Order: sequence, then C-alpha cells, then structure tokens
Amino acid sequence: MAAANPESNLPQNIRAIMTFLREHAPFSSMDDSHLAHFAEHASLQFYADGDAVLSPDQGVVKRFYVVKQGRIRGERHNEKEDRTETTFEISQGECFPLAALIGERPTRTLHRAAGDTFCLSIGQDAFINLFSESEPFRDFCLRGVSSLLDQVNRRIQSSAMASMGSSTSLDTPLERYALRNPIVCSPDLPVRKAVARMHENNVGSIIVTDDNRHPTGIFTLRDLRTMIAEEKGPLDTPVRQVMTKDPCCLPSHADAFEAAMLMAEHHFAHLCVVDDEHKLIGVVSERDLFSLQRVDLVNLARTIGTATHLRTLVSLRADVSRLVDAMLAHGADSGQVVKIITTLNDVTVRRVLELNIKKNDPGIPFTWLTFGSEGRQEQTLLTDQDNGILFQTPDGMTAEQVREKLLPFAQTVNQELAECGFTLCKGNIMASNPKLCLSDREWDEWFIRFIDASTPQNLVYSSIFLDMRAIFGPTEPLHDLLDKVLSRIRKNALFQKMLAGNAFQRKPPLTMFRNFRYVSDGKKHALDLKRQGLAPFVEAVRVFALANGVETANTLERMDQLAKKGVFDPKDANAWKEGYSLIQAIRMRAHQEMLAKGEELTNYIDPDDLNPLDRRILRESFRQAQRLQQKLEVTYQL
Amino acid sequence: MLEQIKHWIEQRRGGKIGSHDPDNLPHPKSPGEQLLSDCRLIVLDLETTGLNTSRDEVIAIGAVAIRGGIIHLGDQFDLILRRPELDIRETVLIHGIGPEALTQGHETEDALLYLLEWMNGDPILAYHSAFDQKFLEKTLRAQLGYTQSHTWMDVADLMPAFFPNAKTGGKGLDHWADYFGLEVAERHHAASDALATAELTLVALNKARKEGVKTLKGLHDKLHYRRRLQNMHRF
Repeated sequence: MAAANPESNLPQNIRAIMTFLREHAPFSSMDDSHLAHFAEHASLQFYADGDAVLSPDQGVVKRFYVVKQGRIRGERHNEKEDRTETTFEISQGECFPLAALIGERPTRTLHRAAGDTFCLSIGQDAFINLFSESEPFRDFCLRGVSSLLDQVNRRIQSSAMASMGSSTSLDTPLERYALRNPIVCSPDLPVRKAVARMHENNVGSIIVTDDNRHPTGIFTLRDLRTMIAEEKGPLDTPVRQVMTKDPCCLPSHADAFEAAMLMAEHHFAHLCVVDDEHKLIGVVSERDLFSLQRVDLVNLARTIGTATHLRTLVSLRADVSRLVDAMLAHGADSGQVVKIITTLNDVTVRRVLELNIKKNDPGIPFTWLTFGSEGRQEQTLLTDQDNGILFQTPDGMTAEQVREKLLPFAQTVNQELAECGFTLCKGNIMASNPKLCLSDREWDEWFIRFIDASTPQNLVYSSIFLDMRAIFGPTEPLHDLLDKVLSRIRKNALFQKMLAGNAFQRKPPLTMFRNFRYVSDGKKHALDLKRQGLAPFVEAVRVFALANGVETANTLERMDQLAKKGVFDPKDANAWKEGYSLIQAIRMRAHQEMLAKGEELTNYIDPDDLNPLDRRILRESFRQAQRLQQKLEVTYQL
Repeated sequence: MLEQIKHWIEQRRGGKIGSHDPDNLPHPKSPGEQLLSDCRLIVLDLETTGLNTSRDEVIAIGAVAIRGGIIHLGDQFDLILRRPELDIRETVLIHGIGPEALTQGHETEDALLYLLEWMNGDPILAYHSAFDQKFLEKTLRAQLGYTQSHTWMDVADLMPAFFPNAKTGGKGLDHWADYFGLEVAERHHAASDALATAELTLVALNKARKEGVKTLKGLHDKLHYRRRLQNMHRF
C-alpha cells in the first residue's frame, strides 16, 4: 500500500522537485524530509536571457537559490580595463549566493541569467531551518564550493584506503602527532648513558640540546650501529662526538606532508619539532607519520638512493606505484602526490647517474637537466624522459671533445632509465642527443636563437625547454643560464606575444553551451585530460611566469609567485590552482584505476563514466582555464 | 491516506475540511487594474475520463498559484476525486490514474468546495482553457449548484501572443514546453501539467512586463484582441 512510503503522500509537484534536487550536491546526501521541506517552501521564478537575478543594490540577500534550468552568470566590472567580465557561471543544480546569504550582506557580484533560466528559491526562514536541521546542507553552505573539492579528495582517499586501512591525513599539523616529551640529553653525556635512557623510554632516538633547549644534534640507534661496526670509539665517548649535528627541524605548524618530504629528501627517519624560538617541543619519526603503511616514502627513497644494482632500481618501481596508492589513502592531494612521484623519480635518476659514474666516470663535471613535466615537478606514473646535459668546458678542451666523453655515458644512462620505466623520448629530447648535451655558452646561444628567431616549430618546444630544472650536479650554472634567458624574454615583447598566441591555441574542451567538447580523433566521447585539461593552465601560466621573471618551473608555485607579484588577483590564482589540481586529481585517479585493471596508462577519460559531481567539477575547472585564457587574451591583445 | 490528505490540507488552510460555508463562497474577480506584478493567478489542469463534456467526468485537479510573477509551491492544489463509479478504462493509459487511486480520492463535494475557496475567485489560466472551463463549470454546477463564472485565460493563446515568431512546430503544451526546454516531470498528471503550464505563463509574464503590459486588464485585452484578429483572418 502506498502509505508505507510517506513520499507518495506528497503532492506530485513536490515529489518532482525532490527528484530534481536529489541529482545534485549537497541535496543528494540530504534526508527526504529535509528535501520535502525545501520543496514545500520553494518558489519558482523565471528569468529571460540577460535579466538581473541578484544585484549588489538589492540590499541584504534574503533568499537561497538553486538553478532548475538554464544558467546564471556572475558579472564583475573590471575597473582597470573598463569592461565587464564573467567571474563565475552557475548551472543546473548549483546554488547561490552562499557567501552573501551566510554573511547577511548584499551580493558583491551581479547575477545575470544566461539564456532562459528558472530558479527555485527558499526564504530565510526555510533556509535557517534546513541549515540547523541538515548536517550535509550546513556543511555545504559553510564551506561553499571548496567542500566539493573535499568530496573529490575524500572519494580518492576512500578508494585508495580500501587497500590501506588508515585514516591519518597528511594535512595534519605536526603538533597533533604524538609529541611525547622528547628524550633529550646534554652534549657531554656518555653514549652508554644516552643509550640507556633511550632503552628506558623505548625510543630509537635521543635529541642533544644545549642549555636553552635548542636542538644541536640527534643520536639514533642507526648511529649506534655505525659507531660499533666502524669502531668509532668506546661507549664512554661523549655523545656530541658521534651525534649527527644540526638535525633537521620543522616548526610545529608545518604539516605531516612537509615532514615526509623533508625526510624523503634527506633520508632521515627523525625530525625535531621546534617552536618559534627554535626550542625543542618534540620529535616526529617516520613511523609516527606512516605507522600503518607497508611501503613508506622515506624508506623507499633511501632504498632507491642506496641501491647498488640497476635491477634493484627496476624492481623498486613497483613500490613507487604502491606508495602513490598509499599517499592518496593518507589524504595527500594531487599537488602533493605529483611532487612525491617527482621526488622519487629524482632519487632514481640520481642513483642511476651515480652508479654509472662509479662504473665509468666520464671525468667531467656536468649538470643533468630535466625538462617538461619533470622539470615542472608534475610527473605522474605515466612519464617519459626529457633530459639534457649542461657542462662547463674545461680549459684546454673544446666543447666537441667534452661531448665525445659525455655522450656515450649519457647513452647508457638513457637506456638504463628506460629500463627503470622512464620511456625513451620519441622526440629524442634526451641527454644522449648531441644537440642537447651542450656547454653553458652553447646553451645560451641556443636560447638566443630560440627566443630571437622564433618560428612556430620552435614554439612547440617552449613547453619543454622553458620548464627546466637541475637534478644532478652543480646548480649554479643552470641558475646563471636561467637568469639570462629570463631577462631576455622579459625584454622581448614579441616573443611573449608569440608564446601567448601559442598557449591560446589550446582551448579547454568546453563548447559555448558549457558542454564537453570531445577530442576529434575518432575516439568517441573522450577527453584528453593532459592536453585539453592541464595544458591550457600550464601554458598560460608559463607565459605570465616567464614574462614576469618567475624562475620556478612548477605550475602551482608559478601561480603563487604571480599572485605575490600582483600579476594575478589572489582570488583568481586560488580558483585556477584549484581547477588545475582537480583535473590532475581526476587524471591520477584514472591512472590508478587503469593500473589496477592492468591496462595501459592513457590520459583519456570518458566524462560519461564520471559521477555527476565529478563531471560538474571537471566542467568548472575547464571554465577556470577559459578565464585564465581570457586574461592572456586581454594582456597580449590576441 | 484520506486522513493524511485531510491533515495536509488542514495544515495548509488552518481550518477543518468540510467546514465550508456554501452560501459564502468567494466571488470571481473580473480583470481590472490589478497589477500583474502582485496579483494572484490560478493555473489549472484537469484530468477527465474522456473528451466529451456531456458524458465524461473530472477525476483529478491540479493547480498552482502564481503571485507577483512567482510560483509558490506551498500554494498549490493536487487532488484526485473520489469517483469509484466512473468508467475510466478509456483514458487510464494516458493519465495513469487507476481505479484504486480513484477510490482513495477525495470526496468530490469537499474537494470542489475547497478548490473554490482556494482559488479565491482569482483568474484561472489553463492550456486550451475552453476544455477545462467547460468541465469545471459543469462539475461545479452539478455538484454544488455553483454557477458564477471565473475569468479564464488560455495559455495556448498567451504564448503566441507574446512570442509570435517562435518556431515551436505545433500548438500543443508539449511544443511550447520543448521550445523553452522545460522538463515536465510527469506528463498527463494534472498537477505536473499545471506546473508546466504555469512555467510557460511565467515566461509570458516576463515578456509582458517588457512590452509594457502591466495590468490584468491589459493582459486580458491583449488576448481578446489577438483572438479577434485571428477570427478576422478566417474570413
């Protein structure tokens, strides 16, 4: 009988509205009774194309709106350029204006209908009622769209967590980790007593502090092992003679991610946590950070960094993939994970180089350069080699002679990296290519030609060579080179405009009507997340970065610096960073899924396979890319 | 079920059902200088046992109210009448109201009294309103002896009056709904059709405001004028 289902007692139109709401966040996670309350108190209004829906001069916002059909455009007047720009778009199922409603103030943006639009709305009383009764609704309202980001991350975590079984978040500030009273001693304490104290407290390390409680050293069980194995001295030796001096320290507000990265970089297992006056508050060990993990970052980085054979390095690559799973499970966001992958890749490349130098030293110092996504520290599991060599020609030699020594060496390294899973570059952008194994002077001339005599063909390479980084050898030569390159680009308006024009070619895959535009190479309903999704961000940001002397190659860091320099509005920069990160997150999740199914990794996804929330997020992220391109268009008058 | 509907209506009305005063029903309002921007309009749709006014009967009434150019979903009417004696085999396929739902429906007299009170004499709009008008007036007369005429306006006239160049491909509710991209939740459900008709009315009222049609009389005259124009073309 129908009465068993209370919803069938509701009028048809109320049920229909509930059905509509259920398809969209946050309503999809709300109780039926709350949805019914919404529907029964709702008004339905029509706005023709171009009608103002809400404007700043209407006073304090009293209603909460949901787009039932059509679109709403946010308009802001740009004083500088005296034109109206669209700051956001709200499409079917989305809500507005949260900030103004919660803040009990007028909206700051003119909301205008784009196309014929119907909006449902509820008044303040119904809104407050729902706000106090429904947790998902409250959560959504308070955190606005950023909670969508959390939802995506949470979903990535939960799928990765299925195999991990832990819920520690890497965003957790260090002070939240069990910072038991750290075990400390003075520098003069004999090792025997220090070890006894560690034993009593069942810890693996002891911090050596001075009278002001500033950490001056650390002594660990590993140090004890080395001391005894290498017979460094009797157990009565004062601890200061065998401790590791100047231990790594982080302030207590740093998060677990920073700690993990620092440990991975330096292969430490312990870090001191200090207050603002550099006084010791506690110790964090890698075990504290990853207590439940089977594969851990620091250990893996250390194993890779000390491997003695190529085949060990090859076998460790599988662990990298498992680690990525683990990182996602621990709440690392996409920006963190690509950095971790890059860090581990760097360690691998360095180790391959070190092993080869040990076997067959070319005898000439060089800097190993990486380009493209590795240069930007944005590698995912799907990666190929883009590298080169920068050297300083020793006195009495010609660059050609140096190349004769370095090229065979580079050849071996490229091959061995391929065995480790870094696919050989199809475009031969590798250190073993004589054109990319150059002296500092040759590189400089190469860039002069690249910048001053730029051809469309050259510009194709801009995404590779203008994002570079040194990962082995002295960094000073690269720094000098970059200095010259950047100042040349800053002065060359024509080159900037060509770069901008090139970046502008890569359109985000959205049609005029905010539907997805699919790649046209026969793959039905496929989006290329790398070329269509990420590239528009990467390329546009590169133009601004190079034009404004930003030296870093990482896209997120470039955006931060551009915001700091006032080139980007901080709010815009945040929206763009978020959009970029979300596409990256969806791409990485797709990679992990392909890997789990044993499929070949690609950057293609079918948006129809995504859930409505992800589709909406993807669409919004692409729209942010369009906005970034608009800025490019205005700045360079394309 | 009936209890729950009663409860629902009481909540809405703050009064007990069946306590209507048949001698003191609201009088229909004539289209005067009431401003479209704040008057109340009823948009109504009936489901019947068939198309023949003399033989067929009303089985469901769905209506929504527009006030100040806004549909207020708390102010709507959605009732299935209790008419177990009716033969609905012919139309059951179209509107999906089976005999079971009908017997659970509302006592006809109560429902109609409530409808009259709820409408409060406000002008009624419907799609192909002549049909709904005939059926409703017949039913009101037969059941309640109520003979006053409401002001009726046809949304099927209203749309082409304000969108003369729209290429809808036809004159039906579906054509206009498709033209404006409306999603009709459940076609041939009285309340659902009434809501779709009301949404079209909102579109027309938005256009009316921009064309300077401000009052109910203005709107009524515009429809009247259009009908006369069409009749003239016929000869």
